Amino acid sequence: MEETKKKEQQGSTHKIGIYLWIWGLLFVLSFFSYMVDWYQFQGMLRWSLILFFMFLKAGLIMAFFMHLFWERYALVNVLLWPMTAIACFIVLMAAEGQYTLFSRLFYFFVGGGQ
Amino acid sequence: MSEQKIVDYEFKPGFKGMAHDTGSDQTMFKGVHWGKAMMWIFLLSDTFVFSCFLISYMKGRASTPVEWPNPSEVFALDAFGVPVPLLLIALMTFVLITSSGTMALAVKYGYEKNKKMCGWLVLATAVGGLTFVGMQAYEWSKLIHEGVRPWENPFGAAQFGSFFFMITGFHGTHVSIGVIFLFIYAYKVFAGHYENGGKRGWFTTMRGDYVEIEILGLYWHFVDLVWVFIFAFFYLW
Amino acid sequence: MSDEIENKSGYQTQSSETMNEYSGAAVGDVDYVRPAEIPEQDLYHGHTFLTKWVFCQDAKVIGVQYFLTAVFTGIVGLILSWLMRLQLGFPELAGFMTAEHYYQFVTMHGMIMVVYFLTALFLGGFGNYLIPLMVGARDMVFPYVNMLSFWMFFVAVAVLMASFFVPGGPTGSGWTLYPPQAILDGTPGSGAGILLMLISLSLFVIGFTMGGLNYLITILQARTRGMTLMRMPLTVWGIFTATVLAMLAFPALLVSSIMMTLDKVLGTSFFMPTILKAGEVLEYGGGSPILFQHLFWFFGHPEVYIVALPAFGIVSDLISVHARKNIFGYRMMVWAIVGIGALSFFVWAHHMYVSGMNPWFGFFFASTTLIIAVPTAMKVYNWILTLWRGNIRINTVMLWCLGFIVTFVNGGITGIFLGNVSVDVPLSDTYFVVAHFHMVMGIAPLMVIMGAVYHWFPLVAGRMLHEGLGKWHFWITFLGAYSIYFPMHYLGFIGVPRRYFEMYDSPYMTSGVGLNEFISLAAFIVGAAQFILIYNIIKTLKTGKPAGKNPWKANSLEWHTSTVPPEHGNFGERLPVVHRWAYDYSVPGAKEDFMPQTTPPSEVSNTEVEKT
Repeated sequence: MEETKKKEQQGSTHKIGIYLWIWGLLFVLSFFSYMVDWYQFQGMLRWSLILFFMFLKAGLIMAFFMHLFWERYALVNVLLWPMTAIACFIVLMAAEGQYTLFSRLFYFFVGGGQ
Repeated sequence: MSEQKIVDYEFKPGFKGMAHDTGSDQTMFKGVHWGKAMMWIFLLSDTFVFSCFLISYMKGRASTPVEWPNPSEVFALDAFGVPVPLLLIALMTFVLITSSGTMALAVKYGYEKNKKMCGWLVLATAVGGLTFVGMQAYEWSKLIHEGVRPWENPFGAAQFGSFFFMITGFHGTHVSIGVIFLFIYAYKVFAGHYENGGKRGWFTTMRGDYVEIEILGLYWHFVDLVWVFIFAFFYLW
Repeated sequence: MSDEIENKSGYQTQSSETMNEYSGAAVGDVDYVRPAEIPEQDLYHGHTFLTKWVFCQDAKVIGVQYFLTAVFTGIVGLILSWLMRLQLGFPELAGFMTAEHYYQFVTMHGMIMVVYFLTALFLGGFGNYLIPLMVGARDMVFPYVNMLSFWMFFVAVAVLMASFFVPGGPTGSGWTLYPPQAILDGTPGSGAGILLMLISLSLFVIGFTMGGLNYLITILQARTRGMTLMRMPLTVWGIFTATVLAMLAFPALLVSSIMMTLDKVLGTSFFMPTILKAGEVLEYGGGSPILFQHLFWFFGHPEVYIVALPAFGIVSDLISVHARKNIFGYRMMVWAIVGIGALSFFVWAHHMYVSGMNPWFGFFFASTTLIIAVPTAMKVYNWILTLWRGNIRINTVMLWCLGFIVTFVNGGITGIFLGNVSVDVPLSDTYFVVAHFHMVMGIAPLMVIMGAVYHWFPLVAGRMLHEGLGKWHFWITFLGAYSIYFPMHYLGFIGVPRRYFEMYDSPYMTSGVGLNEFISLAAFIVGAAQFILIYNIIKTLKTGKPAGKNPWKANSLEWHTSTVPPEHGNFGERLPVVHRWAYDYSVPGAKEDFMPQTTPPSEVSNTEVEKT
């Protein structure tokens, strides 16, 4: 940490090691998420593992390959806050999808409403 | 990366720094190149595009009463006579991450003004991207051969094919555009457009600078980032 | 091209050393402002007619190009509204119109006015012209991309207009383009019309993204020395926030356009459920029409604020200048703009209460909708408090501003009706809704546009628009617009449905016929009154009174350029250095009743001016 701090003040670049590390980690994480399918985990375990590896990979790419870790908070916050709108959209559309499925099954298959 | 010295401006850390930067004059993102700031905002907008695609996919998949095809079987590939689930997809992921890594190194060497390494790494990234597009074309043709169409497929819900072709197609378009630009920028690096104060670009009065490689890198990593989400939501889910 | 710039560029890039040397004041001095962080921008100056006026990279010319193109589409939209009103008020005179024509006119009127007129005018027109001037930049940060943005918009408009001439005519599915009907036979223009509409929208989004990136980066990264975000005029804040909304909301429109295009062309079923047509099952099946509505309104509601926020910002500046008083609660105004912008992403489904979505959503969206009324109301209070005890000049600009406040409050209050689920259900799809959104996002922003035209025309053209004609223009428009939309509320209450071609002898029309005729007459007059402005502009360009420098005695930077109208590069030799906000009007103890943003503190040491 001390090392990187000093580096960035000089305005130069980072050591090659950090990139190689992240690179390696990405391969390992991709391998793990592939293993989730290979071993055919199902249910909550599968979903949580998929999401866990996905967010970890996305976070690593953004933080180190896209340098967001070294950017100032002004930029980081501008980029991350709008995601709340997407999060809200996701949650509501998940609920909407369930409801559409419910009404389709209810009206078309069960024969409700007749 | 971005923190070069600014006359009479004190960089404060963390949220205090954010408030200080935001409240200051001239720039909000201190020391960030215009083009880089533009690329970030563009990527934010593009994130919303892909989010909308994936949200539509989620809504479509969640509300279909017809069975959704099992991606693990649909995307399986025969290796030595044994069907291996998601083999091609795993390889594509491998290729794309590799190209992302070479891009990250290209950016690093760009900032060190190492023209040769930077150029070769950008070129390697372009080749990686091209391989990815080629594999995707192979995947598409294989699925089309098996009877998957945007409007129907033999495995289940028709929306499977629709969303598959649309989302991977849109991502593939991004990759292809990226590959074109990677080749152009590899040429620009080798031609020395970023050396000696920089050569002016074709459509701009700005002088070339190795920061352009970082900007291109941001785009390329974004393409990789989107693939992470597509991989998780479309192929694994 | 680059050689040309090297040789003929009017501005040489100043090296950072010379910039640092110049400051006029040493560190510690009251007038001291930090030196420039980045060297000045090189600009490409056009030499030929083509590069100077057609493919021009000067944001001011691009702004005027945007303005004129948007006004052209606006006039088309106006003519369409005349035709609609002719059919509604005097159907016997509109024998040439079929129901299909009517739906096409409704659709094109709506889409043109919201997207191609208001959005393009505020962001493309005023944004391009004013942002670089107001933040003290030489130009937009990417002039070439900015030029492309306009031409992309131009192509989008051309494609949209082309849809009038294709077989089947333009789409007639309503401006919301809801599937499944938008792309099924039986809806007018379901062939080439809807396709051209979707293509045009996609082009618009792409073009706008290029422009929007420019606006944002110019505001965030290219302000002049001393110009902090909290010293920017509210106009810039309004346009800035609206652009942020546009960058985040247009993706949803793009995605829904792409998906609907695929449904139409490839026969996918993203939005298309199983459909029986004349007893026959169509190829479609399994899609979700409501998904389109969600995507559309995820774009559509922020779009309302994309139109409204620049209007809020501009009107704040106009009121402050013409009431000779600082804007009341500047920071509150800024935060209200930002807050409205942020909240606008969480309210979209209040357009869908009767759509058959998940019934639990009503609670969430009604709450967020009513919350968004709070910052909006704060803005209205602040405008009124700015006027309070101001030295108000009742000129044309001020009249338009007052007109805006009245119409906006009126439209805003009906919005509270419609935001509540139980009130919305009986009122939805009636003329009450038509009245509401025309008041709040049709007439109110239009009032601001008119005020802004009268305010900034002297800057753009160097001549003052004629006041007398302006007042006629205002009063006819204001009273006429009220005559159009106020009775519509009543029509809505008695249940007259919107989008109907003809009411025949339905029970609605016993008391509605006379009103409809009255509304139509008012609409003809109001529409015609707009040509007063066009006449005024043409006349002024020839014989108008020269404006001179800073005719309104305003503070913001656009009035303090080296020449009027400003030339390419905006500020001559040196960029201005900003020492204060844009609202130091009638400062006690000051020599004059205004204090330009460039006035250094040492010049006003004896006045009671707060530190801003």
